[in-house]
Amino acid sequence: MPNLEVSKKDLEGMLAQKFSKEKLEETLEYIKGEIDSLEGDSLKIDCKETNRPDLWCTEGIARELKARMGKEKGIKEYKVRKSDVSVFINSNLEKIRPLIVCAVVKDIKITEDLLLQMIQLQEKVGENYGRKRKELGIGLYDFDIIQPPVYYKGFKDDEIEFVPLEWKVPMRPSEILSQHEKGKAYGHLLEGAEFYPIVIDANRTVASMPPIINSNTTGKVTEKTKNLFIEVTGFKWETVETALEVICMALADRGGKIFSCRVVFPSDKKPYPAKQLLTPVFSTEKMSFDKEIINQKTGLELKDKEIIDLLEKARYNVSVKGKKINVEYPSYRTDLMHPVDVIEDLLISYGFNNVVPQKIEMNVLGSQLEEVVFNDFVREGCTGLGLQEIMSYNLTSRQIQGVNMGLENESFIEIANPVSLNYEILRKNLSPQLLDFLSKNKDKEFPQRIFEIGTCLSLDAKAENGVKQSTNLCVVLTHSNVNFTEIKSVLVSLCKYLGLSCEVKKKLFPFLGENSAEIIVNGKKGFIGELKQEVVSSFGLRKPVVLFEFEL
Amino acid sequence: MLDLLNDKVKELSDIERKVLSSLSSEFADFEDISISSGVPLDSVRRASAWLSQKGFAVVSEKEVERYCLTSDGEKALSKGMPENVLLETLTQMGGKASFIELEKESQLSKQEFMAALGINKRKAFVIISQGMIEETGVAKAQENFSEQNFLRDIADGKKVSTEFVIDLQKRGLVEKKRVVDRTIKISPNGEKAKEILSSSNVSRVFNIEAPVPELFLGKKAPYIQFLQQIRAKLVSLGFTEMETKLIVTEFYNFDVLYQPQNHPARTWTDTYQLKNPKTGLLPDKRIVDAIKSAHEDGGKSGSKGWRYDWSAGVASRLMPSAHGTAHSARQLVKGVGMPKKYFAIARCFRPDVLDATHLIEFNQMEGFIVGKDLNFKHLLGMLKDFAIEVAGAEKVKFFPDYYPFTEPSVQLSAKHPELGWMEFAGAGMFRPEMLDNLGIKGEAIAWGMGIDRLAMFKLGIKDIRYLFSDDLNYLRNAKGVLL
Repeated sequence: MPNLEVSKKDLEGMLAQKFSKEKLEETLEYIKGEIDSLEGDSLKIDCKETNRPDLWCTEGIARELKARMGKEKGIKEYKVRKSDVSVFINSNLEKIRPLIVCAVVKDIKITEDLLLQMIQLQEKVGENYGRKRKELGIGLYDFDIIQPPVYYKGFKDDEIEFVPLEWKVPMRPSEILSQHEKGKAYGHLLEGAEFYPIVIDANRTVASMPPIINSNTTGKVTEKTKNLFIEVTGFKWETVETALEVICMALADRGGKIFSCRVVFPSDKKPYPAKQLLTPVFSTEKMSFDKEIINQKTGLELKDKEIIDLLEKARYNVSVKGKKINVEYPSYRTDLMHPVDVIEDLLISYGFNNVVPQKIEMNVLGSQLEEVVFNDFVREGCTGLGLQEIMSYNLTSRQIQGVNMGLENESFIEIANPVSLNYEILRKNLSPQLLDFLSKNKDKEFPQRIFEIGTCLSLDAKAENGVKQSTNLCVVLTHSNVNFTEIKSVLVSLCKYLGLSCEVKKKLFPFLGENSAEIIVNGKKGFIGELKQEVVSSFGLRKPVVLFEFEL
Repeated sequence: MLDLLNDKVKELSDIERKVLSSLSSEFADFEDISISSGVPLDSVRRASAWLSQKGFAVVSEKEVERYCLTSDGEKALSKGMPENVLLETLTQMGGKASFIELEKESQLSKQEFMAALGINKRKAFVIISQGMIEETGVAKAQENFSEQNFLRDIADGKKVSTEFVIDLQKRGLVEKKRVVDRTIKISPNGEKAKEILSSSNVSRVFNIEAPVPELFLGKKAPYIQFLQQIRAKLVSLGFTEMETKLIVTEFYNFDVLYQPQNHPARTWTDTYQLKNPKTGLLPDKRIVDAIKSAHEDGGKSGSKGWRYDWSAGVASRLMPSAHGTAHSARQLVKGVGMPKKYFAIARCFRPDVLDATHLIEFNQMEGFIVGKDLNFKHLLGMLKDFAIEVAGAEKVKFFPDYYPFTEPSVQLSAKHPELGWMEFAGAGMFRPEMLDNLGIKGEAIAWGMGIDRLAMFKLGIKDIRYLFSDDLNYLRNAKGVLL
């Protein structure tokens, strides 16, 4: 979810209204925004509208709020004039990055605020909506330096070179990917491609290598720039067109005039939308559904007039015909998939806190999982024996579960992207975790008598999720004179209370000494015994330890 | 007068009684009393102080001079005297070595080395010939008679011949210190008390105001107590507990929940992925096809869907479940009662670094209610109930929110009497793309809440790591938890 930074004064200027912090907080609910911080003029907003890039700049926020606050209503229309710029797409990029859409915005007064907003919008849209530039890359250029027509074409590494932004000498595409900061950050997006996508003008001046970097020649926008050329590249028509419209709208809201470009596609088959198109298109979409659904879903009793009013505040054009409601909205609202999305917009206009909560009358009985009830029964037995319960993490290390226990070759459920080697696997047994616990409490009073009831995981190729998940009980006792008899007493007494059958059969385990046995409790296997001296030492313990563990 | 004495005698502890019976009219060392009474020396010291305070014994204190080990002396006692170290090293090196080699091999400091060499030369254990140090063999012929034994005797307070002590003192291993020497004898009242004790079996009377040793109760972990009571609350509100799995396919964690496969939250930085095992099995083809069409074109729901090519391969990747809703997803696939309320307390995993405010795994309370005529007002009603019942909130506020699997989506903030306003739950109505394609005819309102902040408050802890505390003293001293 995007974190936005705007100038409070700038936003107030666009809305022609001043806000207290409280009022601002309340108003930003309309864009699912939360104030992260407000220091001086700098307002940081956490915007939860993950699928609405049109809101991710001061201009977009102001556009939405003007309607929600009743200053405007319905779809905002943008005038698009025709430019004579054509953009030709080469088919050699079809498998690499097939689409480009372009626009020109003229007569724009670029202020510091606007420049910052444009950089932010370009970045947020590319990172969030464009999935870290994978699905779309945006470039802004000084239009006055570009010589139309513009070509979008793939070049081999040895066919082209240009000076990338913030660089002084010309570089080949492969050099940019390996040496330039942006090349290193986004180079993986072009990995293994036969051609590098290049935007180039009629003078053979390179504008950019999308989605990596602009050229230093045309790709530098400053406060002196008057006319802008904008391109968006990607894979999906709807995504690139949305991004282009979002940027054009923001610039137009600042007084710029939008001019379309004629984009000529290699064919009219997928992924291309048509043989040729004037972009941006600014088309609208329509949705029609039963009016009744609104009151059904919301629980409100809204009249037609109220419904129309609330939806116009959310910038829909609305009409009611009989039982049907027809809404029209800009096609950049790709987040609208189903009538429920429109209904949520209506509720936001209404104000969530203006809805009166209603109790659910539902006569149903609740229950806990049988397993949870049983675990608590076992817990009661253990605490009755004077044992202290502990809770350890499921995530742990190979060192604790394997090496320390003398089980170096054991296989575990492994995390592919661990944050730390201390948490690289999921535990297979509880015992090592309890021993690790003891190692952190050597200075505490003895005897130490602890237990844990917890989930354990082991590989199981037959299971749907590849693992066997069990709940184990482990009891560990340690003090100077502890021995096998003491731990067996705990096991036998506990099983008696729980009504579980318990068999003890002599068996050796790698981590247990001579006095050790396999136990079968209610048909499920486990172990009991005195911990081997080497294992005691590998956990850094000084006193003897006895333990048992079995599956519940 | 005698009654008073009788009362005092009754109050004597077992140890005091044993020590008293070993006392005589002559002053004796505590060590001797310990031997004759069979009471450990420390206990004798304490009992003597009490007996003297009660007038049953006389303790005499005298300052005397005693030999004690210096810190160098302690080191020599544990690691060996330098001259022994030198000699042993020389033997290991074949009985002959140069100065430089021997000094290096013995790991002695220059000063220690020279002193040790001097001693060995004086005792004729080594000779120096042509710049080499050689063993003479005398040391082996003599009884192993080392100064180390004297050090141990001095440390233990045993008597040692003055000649040796002075030598050790010169070498800075032993020093003279003034210490208080205590001896004890019985007092006249003590004699009477002894008589009373021996003439009849006098039972002990306790000082009821005296402090007593503390016991450690066997008890549940505080966090478990909290979670159990939360469970009980939910059951009382009519919720049925769902099964949870630690390892799930992305299908349940994301796909069933209408989270598109290119969603940023599905990248590595936000969730864990598994190296082993890598993939799991998807359910029935019928269900998989339903979810596939939900994503691609909305399926039976009338939605446009996310409009991309859905991949079963991505959906079958395994991961530790990142949110409790994965278990709601599984329940939706398995089928639901109508009407019914479901909940889970689920262990969730996200790649965070463990610190005072973040856990590497945490518990989420999660659930949903299915019914024919549920609407947005019910959603808010349910959330308000939770805030009051579970968190003891005074006021609630609702904010618009976003989740891929609910529309409308709400965030609930609750005002707790002591914690103030806090984000308490995320909630919403499950999207029709999910319900319609899984054949669930009705509405479902879903909620999820992080309960760890509330747990911290109830447990009275400021550091979240104490929920999984590895400090035995904290667990032993923790108070019982009551919601």
